[in-house]
Amino acid sequence: MDLIVLMKQVPDVVEELVIDDDGKALDTDEVMYIPNELDEHALEQALLLKEQHGGKITVISVGGDEAKDALASAVAKGADEAVYVEAEMEGQCDNHKLASHLDGIIKGRTFDMLLTGVQAVDDIDGSVGSLLATHMDLPYVGGLAKVSADPGRRVTTVEKEFPGGLLGEMEVTFPAILGVQSAEQPPRYVPVSKVMQTKKTLEVEELGDELPEVSGLAIQEMVLPEPAERAEMLEGDGEDVAARIVELLQERGLL
Amino acid sequence: MSQSDIVVIAEHRQGQIAEITYELVACGRKLASDLSGTLTCLLLTSAPDTFKGCNLNVDRLEVIEDASLGEFNPEAYHKVLAPMLKGLAPGLVILGNTGSGMDLASSLSLACDATLIANCTEITAAGGALSATSQLYGGKVMATSQFSSPMGIALLMPGNYAQEEGQAAPGAVNVQAPPEPLGTLRTTFKRFIEPEVTDVDITKVPVLIAAGRGVDGEDNLEDIEELAEALGGATCASRPVVDQGWMDRARQVGRSGMIVKPRFYLALGLSGAPEHVEGMKDSELIIAINTDETAPIFDVAHFGSTEDLFDVVEPLAEKIEELRG
Repeated sequence: MDLIVLMKQVPDVVEELVIDDDGKALDTDEVMYIPNELDEHALEQALLLKEQHGGKITVISVGGDEAKDALASAVAKGADEAVYVEAEMEGQCDNHKLASHLDGIIKGRTFDMLLTGVQAVDDIDGSVGSLLATHMDLPYVGGLAKVSADPGRRVTTVEKEFPGGLLGEMEVTFPAILGVQSAEQPPRYVPVSKVMQTKKTLEVEELGDELPEVSGLAIQEMVLPEPAERAEMLEGDGEDVAARIVELLQERGLL
Repeated sequence: MSQSDIVVIAEHRQGQIAEITYELVACGRKLASDLSGTLTCLLLTSAPDTFKGCNLNVDRLEVIEDASLGEFNPEAYHKVLAPMLKGLAPGLVILGNTGSGMDLASSLSLACDATLIANCTEITAAGGALSATSQLYGGKVMATSQFSSPMGIALLMPGNYAQEEGQAAPGAVNVQAPPEPLGTLRTTFKRFIEPEVTDVDITKVPVLIAAGRGVDGEDNLEDIEELAEALGGATCASRPVVDQGWMDRARQVGRSGMIVKPRFYLALGLSGAPEHVEGMKDSELIIAINTDETAPIFDVAHFGSTEDLFDVVEPLAEKIEELRG
């Protein structure tokens, strides 16, 4: 099977986020970029499919320089080919722009399934996978907890998540674009030393130049939530906090 | 239709209207009233009789009937909705920011040349201009954006509009066939897989101790389980903890897990991503412990602390056990 995994870089939301002077975007100087976590699940699912059915995985990594590190890590885990698409995003993600750009890059390639994360923390104008599928006139299903394949019949069977733990089983014909929520097992770990080793010999195909003019939407204002809406903070060390929690529970008859 | 008219896309499963549909209608009702426009709900099904009598507070319920529309199928839905929406040309189309809505909104946005705004918590029509507030970056940032195209598409997050306001008899009900034949589909809905029945139903216990990514390892869950036991409750978790295999899927709280409303919800090392908050924000008392003082969980919690969670869990379990004797 020919598989493509599409990965993008997103701001690390564990870090403090700073809004720029215009108040419309993140201050990119302050942003730490990391691979989108759900794209890592898409990669893991692709690796599992390859282990079962054989074939080839091409990883396409989108973003600034950090996106190249994601390629080394993906190849160290078992991906076969690495493609880097430079896309310096401003302080706001624009998936309409990105999907239009990727359409130009991917449409000449043949593949059975393209897997990507169903969403990312910076998505605001839709998901890359679904937008790309529309450009390429391919079927798309997202929110998947399992992807299996029948290469003989050229179909994939997927399990889509619904509220309350319900799953919907669907069958989609190749070629398909799939939005992964979680792989069947946690993304595998690869030692840093192996990634560094891979990086030395890694051949990366670099594609794409100017991002297209199209755009999704323009954010007018970004704000951090008001402190007034926030929780009342309990003072003191762990002991003090525990004592206050006990009081709160007693007041409410929970103890 | 005109730019003041609003369309909502109904969500249903296994013959039941999904709760989010009432919230979409409640939001659409408010906007249609502010804009002096009409509110129409489009409901796609293979069994129109099941839904003809449903309680949706809209001016018009349009039921679109086809054998391929039994359960949600993104391809079939797109083939019906894209030509219909282009024909109707409303000012705004509202879908749920759910697994189904997210599958559809992007493709409809391209087909209808419509601005798409996702993760909306509020949609307003101040001065006739439609705009939306959305959660971004795991809920750490709120963004305001305008629908700049003639038709806008909004993905509305669950839990922001009162379901009761979406419930009333529709003004008119009409059943029709899809505008164009659906032809051969590349996507087929096969069946639903029900969640496994487990020992504890977390939607029914009064106290939940929730573990987030900050618990940092399966071994650390033992202390949290002891605390839950001491309080006569159960443990639950956010998605990353379940994805790591540290807890069963039946214990997952949030968008694709369970919706819980316990009397006490203790969130430990949990950032409070919107997908998780959707599932627990109506708990009676929420206390959050997280060393990141900017974590969005503190926006929904009543009380909070930035102490290390294990520095709190241990003395808390001791104090409770002392009290219980």
